[in-house]
Amino acid sequence: MASLARPAPARTAFTEVRFVGLLTRPLVLRGEMAWLGGTRLQRRVLTPAPELTEIDGDSATLQRGRGRPQRFPLDRAPELKDLAASFVALLSGNAAALQRVFVVHAYGDARAWTLDLTPRDAQVAQRIRAVSIDGAGRAMRCMRVDSRDGDTAFTLLGALGGVVLPADPTPAGLATLCAGGR
Amino acid sequence: MLALAALGGYAFTHLRVSGDLRAFLPAPRTPLQGLLLHELGRGAGARTLFLALRTPDAAQAAALSTALRAALAGDGRIATVQNGAGGPGRIAPGLLPYRYLLAPTLDTHRFDAAYLHAQLRQRLDDLGSPGAGLLKPLLPADPTLETLKLAQAWAPRQAPPLRHGVWYADGAALLLVETHAAGFDPDAQARVLDSIRAAYARLPGHARATLQISGPGYFGVVLQALTRGTAERLGLVSALGLLALLLVSYRSLRAVSLAALPLLSAAAAGAAVLALVFGRVHGLTLAFGVTLLGVAQEYPLRLLSHRGADADPRATARRLGPVLLLAMASTAVAYLAFFAAGAAGLSQLALFTLTGILAAGLTTRFLLPALLPATARDTATPVLARLDAALSRLPHPRRLALLLAAAALAALVLVRAPLWQNDLAMLTPVPLPLLQQEARLRHALGAPDVRHLLVIEGDTAQQVLARSMQVAARFAPLLREGRLGSLLLPSTYLPPVAVQRARQARLPDAAQLRSALDDALRGLPYRAGVFAPFLRDVHAARHLPPLTPQAFERTPLGGLLRALLIRRDRRWFGLGLMGGVRDPAALAAAAAAAAPAGSVRLVDLKTESEAWVAGYRARILRALAAAAVLLALLVALGLRRAAPTLRVLAAVLLAQLLTLAALRLLAGPLNLFHLVALLLAAGLGLHYALFFERARSADDAERLRTLHATLVCAASTLLAFGVYALAPLPVLRALGMTVALGIAANLLAALLLAWPRRLPPC
Repeated sequence: MASLARPAPARTAFTEVRFVGLLTRPLVLRGEMAWLGGTRLQRRVLTPAPELTEIDGDSATLQRGRGRPQRFPLDRAPELKDLAASFVALLSGNAAALQRVFVVHAYGDARAWTLDLTPRDAQVAQRIRAVSIDGAGRAMRCMRVDSRDGDTAFTLLGALGGVVLPADPTPAGLATLCAGGR
Repeated sequence: MLALAALGGYAFTHLRVSGDLRAFLPAPRTPLQGLLLHELGRGAGARTLFLALRTPDAAQAAALSTALRAALAGDGRIATVQNGAGGPGRIAPGLLPYRYLLAPTLDTHRFDAAYLHAQLRQRLDDLGSPGAGLLKPLLPADPTLETLKLAQAWAPRQAPPLRHGVWYADGAALLLVETHAAGFDPDAQARVLDSIRAAYARLPGHARATLQISGPGYFGVVLQALTRGTAERLGLVSALGLLALLLVSYRSLRAVSLAALPLLSAAAAGAAVLALVFGRVHGLTLAFGVTLLGVAQEYPLRLLSHRGADADPRATARRLGPVLLLAMASTAVAYLAFFAAGAAGLSQLALFTLTGILAAGLTTRFLLPALLPATARDTATPVLARLDAALSRLPHPRRLALLLAAAALAALVLVRAPLWQNDLAMLTPVPLPLLQQEARLRHALGAPDVRHLLVIEGDTAQQVLARSMQVAARFAPLLREGRLGSLLLPSTYLPPVAVQRARQARLPDAAQLRSALDDALRGLPYRAGVFAPFLRDVHAARHLPPLTPQAFERTPLGGLLRALLIRRDRRWFGLGLMGGVRDPAALAAAAAAAAPAGSVRLVDLKTESEAWVAGYRARILRALAAAAVLLALLVALGLRRAAPTLRVLAAVLLAQLLTLAALRLLAGPLNLFHLVALLLAAGLGLHYALFFERARSADDAERLRTLHATLVCAASTLLAFGVYALAPLPVLRALGMTVALGIAANLLAALLLAWPRRLPPC
């Protein structure tokens, strides 16, 4: 995992596809993800609506459009804190930090690998069933988060960050994309 | 003797001792003062305990916090326990149907297609944002997020940070415990503390953290333990000292034992009358009362000292009768001033001591002489004769007295410290580290400012709620500008019925809402039928009876409203709790601008309590002046001639000057207890001068007996009161020090001005 480490700031374009039970079609968000060093993580959504989120350890700041940034503690969203922590852990190559938050199961080889993560915190486990991260070589390609309520979110990164999606994306199609035809 | 035992038995079985310290605060004069006094003891603030589970291991602290909360949840003495878990984001299920009546959305919007469409678009953005997981479950029934708006309005503004799901700050998990018992009921609070400590001790792993408790109730318990311990310890010391003194003075165990009879009958009669009149009595009243009755101990001592060679003690009692009566009357006048103080505890004290003095006087005059042994040692001894001679050789006692008076006046003029101590907190003997710990916890928990309070007055609860809404609007700019950190009002929780009805009237009917929602959903990717719960809830909300304070108070959040909306003396009061007060003047101006004038006030509890104490003192000063005039009249009436009357009054006046000067040098600013004690000392000191005057026309032996009696009396009173000057409690210390200084000064002044000097041998 140390091979994943890269100096901050590290930036990557991302495409997020969320399959939400309340909606008839998935939400597709595009933008840029950046690790600013330390525990600071930035997520800038460009489409469909501009939104900037910065997570720093225990608190997050959210700014929509040209509105005022709003700061809120992550007390109520421990899963967000854990996901951000895992992201930072991966980018900084800190395996111990990742294992503190998740039970990690790794397989594959250096060319194409997968990490299956299960939350350790009971409160987080009530919201998140499982997380899986696919990568190739030194780069993450894809992060899949399965919620307890049946919703699933795919975040495509790096080489996949700017990928052109089919008109009607499905979870199965995205899973295949993440696996890289493996 | 049987009657005495019966009285004691009656008092013992019928008198209930209470620990409510407010009995020693002045009685309220206005409804506002009444409210503040009530808040002081029964308000939510006074009933809240702060708990800190201290350990650097946050996970361990969280586990203990969760377990302790669960353990305390079933305790009947505890109203609520909060530890941060399950707070905002959730409102009580019972209030959920009322969300459209409680939240302000409908004041400015209608649930039409345009508004709903805009809201549903925003929810789409929310679903794509990192925090979507929190909102998702709310959306089907509440697409406009009314529950979230309410939860935000109701959440404490500066709650401590959460770690592992519970409040954790400065190395400790924090909990708020609201008790049912009043903050100033130390006995009940002690039981709550015991059960909290026991529950904590039963938790597995409790040894890995330390439990700290703070808050007004805890202070009450500490204070009571301190008072009880002090009174018992010092009481024992003074009792042993007295016994030794009397045995040395009278050399008869029987006489000394019998001399306790007047005091015992005084205590029994006083307690019996209290039981009859009040039913319950403050513990401090009894402690103070028994101490004050030490005065009555003078009566039997005078009898013993003056017996001389009288074959029959009854003859001595007859001889002493008139002066004893004058002494009793003057003490009674001094103690009457307690009635004027206007605090329930002090009125009880006055009744107790007046009854006691009467009982002690009667016992001394009629019962004791019949029981005393027929023979006694004459107290007119050669040692006393030498002392008498020394006193008589003292040069120019009157000039010395004038010199002392001048020195005392100079000291009084030169001492720069403020004359009066108005800060009530200075009477609170809570040790400083405990107060500092409480301040830290209060700050960490974001508990509201304890000094400033908005008070909204009205004829009905609904009127107060309506005014509270106006206050909220008026104070909104101050909150925005940061001149005020937070404001919790009764209308924060419950808008008046009229406002609820207006909101209800703006809710669309089922058909209108369905068509508005259909229009609003056009072009948005929501699944068909997802918002059926929303349609159902709006329909239900249209037909709900508006929520009344009574109904709201039955919900789990009821305690919050009950603390802020109070009925008192047939008036209704709303309280506004404020945090982060940075500009009191602007707040006061905003409050004063409310209509009708005076219905909303910014109360500064410190100023308010100081004004209250100053008013209390003015009343006591008037009572003192009246008591002084009465004392002078009594003396003139008793002595019937001008010269002795002037001598006695001059002695008392000089003694008061000396006491006051010594107090100013030793104690600095004076409080009410100093004043009351000063009066007491004056009454006692008067005895000395009176007995000295009486000795003027007596033979040598009687003069020596008078000297003996006075010295023994002064020494025993010094023993009884002097020990309290060492007490750590300011109240006891003020009393003990003032009386001790007063006795010394009165004895000195009486010796200088009233003692009949023996003519120098030619």
